[in-house]
Amino acid sequence: MNNIILQQTLPNVFAERESIVSEVWKRNLELQKGEIYLIEADSGTGKSSLCSYIYGYRNDYQGTFQFDKDNIRSLSVSKWVNIRKHSLSMLFQELRLFSELTALENVQLKNNLTGYKTQKEIEDLFEAMGISDKFNSKAGKLSFGQQQRVAFIRSLCQPFDFIFLDEPISHLDETNGQIMGELLMQEVNKQGAGVIVTSIGKHIELNYNKIFKL
Amino acid sequence: MKLVWKLLRQHISLPQLGGFFFANLFGMMIVALSVQFYKDIAQVFTEGDSFIKKDFVIVTKKVSTLGSITGVSNTFSEDDLSEVKSQSFAKNVGSFIPSQFSVTAGFGMDQSDFHLSTEMFFESVPNDYVDVSLQKWHFDKNSHTIPIILPRNYLNLYNFGFAQSRSLPKLSEGLMGMIKLDILIRGNNKVEKYKGNIVGFSSRLNTILVPEEFINWANEIYAPGKQVQPSRLIVEVKNPADENIAKFFQKKGYETEDNKLDAGKTTYFLKLTTGIVLAVGLLISVLSFYILMLSIYLLLQKNTTKLENLLLLGYSPGRVALPYQILTLGLNFVVLILAIILVSWARSYYMGIVSSLFPQLAAGTIIPAVAIGTTLFVVVSSMNIVAIRKKVQSIWMHK
Repeated sequence: MNNIILQQTLPNVFAERESIVSEVWKRNLELQKGEIYLIEADSGTGKSSLCSYIYGYRNDYQGTFQFDKDNIRSLSVSKWVNIRKHSLSMLFQELRLFSELTALENVQLKNNLTGYKTQKEIEDLFEAMGISDKFNSKAGKLSFGQQQRVAFIRSLCQPFDFIFLDEPISHLDETNGQIMGELLMQEVNKQGAGVIVTSIGKHIELNYNKIFKL
Repeated sequence: MKLVWKLLRQHISLPQLGGFFFANLFGMMIVALSVQFYKDIAQVFTEGDSFIKKDFVIVTKKVSTLGSITGVSNTFSEDDLSEVKSQSFAKNVGSFIPSQFSVTAGFGMDQSDFHLSTEMFFESVPNDYVDVSLQKWHFDKNSHTIPIILPRNYLNLYNFGFAQSRSLPKLSEGLMGMIKLDILIRGNNKVEKYKGNIVGFSSRLNTILVPEEFINWANEIYAPGKQVQPSRLIVEVKNPADENIAKFFQKKGYETEDNKLDAGKTTYFLKLTTGIVLAVGLLISVLSFYILMLSIYLLLQKNTTKLENLLLLGYSPGRVALPYQILTLGLNFVVLILAIILVSWARSYYMGIVSSLFPQLAAGTIIPAVAIGTTLFVVVSSMNIVAIRKKVQSIWMHK
């Protein structure tokens, strides 16, 4: 997948509104592999909706999203499964960790599927994020900030053309935010992937090619 | 896979699965046992006659007092005949044609005065129904000799009744064949002498039998213009244990000569009982299937968020459904194996009794139970698998 194209997209719930001031909705734009994007949003402007449309678990919108030439509305279940395994990684704002599994198991659940990272690499990532002591703690027992870091590590455990991070550092301090940015860029540069980050204020420091106001 | 299972096994309710397990076990056991029992026992009634190649039933209309007084005919019309013919159990139908002229038969020695004679009658059936070698079963107008078949009962009556009590010599069938009878036929103002030759004894046909070609010819000569209607029918049936035979004759008010149809009645009740038991077994199976589906649905419902997250991580719906499918398949399989073991145990118990009552019975196998059990297993399991798959797919859509 080399680009993600948005054509006149708009969440159905916004269809009634008369004037929409946005650099994303109701516009045509193309996100390219290898570029880094920041989408800044105020609350209620449809940031989470945008994530769920692109990740294929909601389709209450008008206009079209395309992966290369494919309209994502018509992608089959098996294509979506493949995309989620090999082309598109997502760090959900609500994390979607399994609270009854340990931090390590949560990461393994993804890595077992893709076989992308070795056990050593995963351990190093935990080390780098400063949560190596939380390996075997149940995810439910961790603080939100710690959970955010576990979910981040999980999102790196797959090959991807684009990585989508929905408010990745909302609960992290500056140092940890910086470390996350470095780890992210290491992986992104290795894979030559594109990055899309959203934020409603605090955002991860990267060399953004383009900043959109949602 | 281990991690997925660790996640998805949460909220599994052991009492619910236990309930399903036992309900399904009993249901399948009852179904398999009833089919097995039917297959084992039915041969008692059907295979008893298997050494006779063909099965025949001789049918008459009931002779009632009222009928005798009012003179209602108890012969079979063309319509009656074709109706019997059209029944599913009937392979072939033949009619007994009686002689319409008077017959006197006697034997004696020409040299002496000793002579015995008696008034009698002849009947014929189509050659296909004659259970004696047909080699001599042929009438030739010029030879004036009529082949005759007598009921074996007559010979037995003489040999074991009359001859025994009077210390007379017993007669073998061969010896009887050497006796020439003097037959005198009267009718249509003609009197003619024939020779009668006993060519065999029948255990099926309880009448004095002559070839059909002779009866047709003689009725024409000695009783021309008389309508000949059969008073007895001989029906070749496919399976004498078929309960439809008894039902049909009962409905029409016909009588049969021997107790061949008792097997049919017994089989009917056997079928009825088996049917009821089978229905109960199936009902229990269906209910157990419901319990399982409800339990699985509840489980899927409770785990919806987890399933959803797994799907978002890139697990395919098929892979997410797999643990539940394996769970139900495993349960169903254990039930199948247990049910077969229980049925074969129960069978060994009743077959002991059956084989001591009917030692000639072939031992049979447990294949019917295995077959019906496997069928049920395949049907139930595939329905389970499809239902789980659908449910997971609905979570994928989750709209």
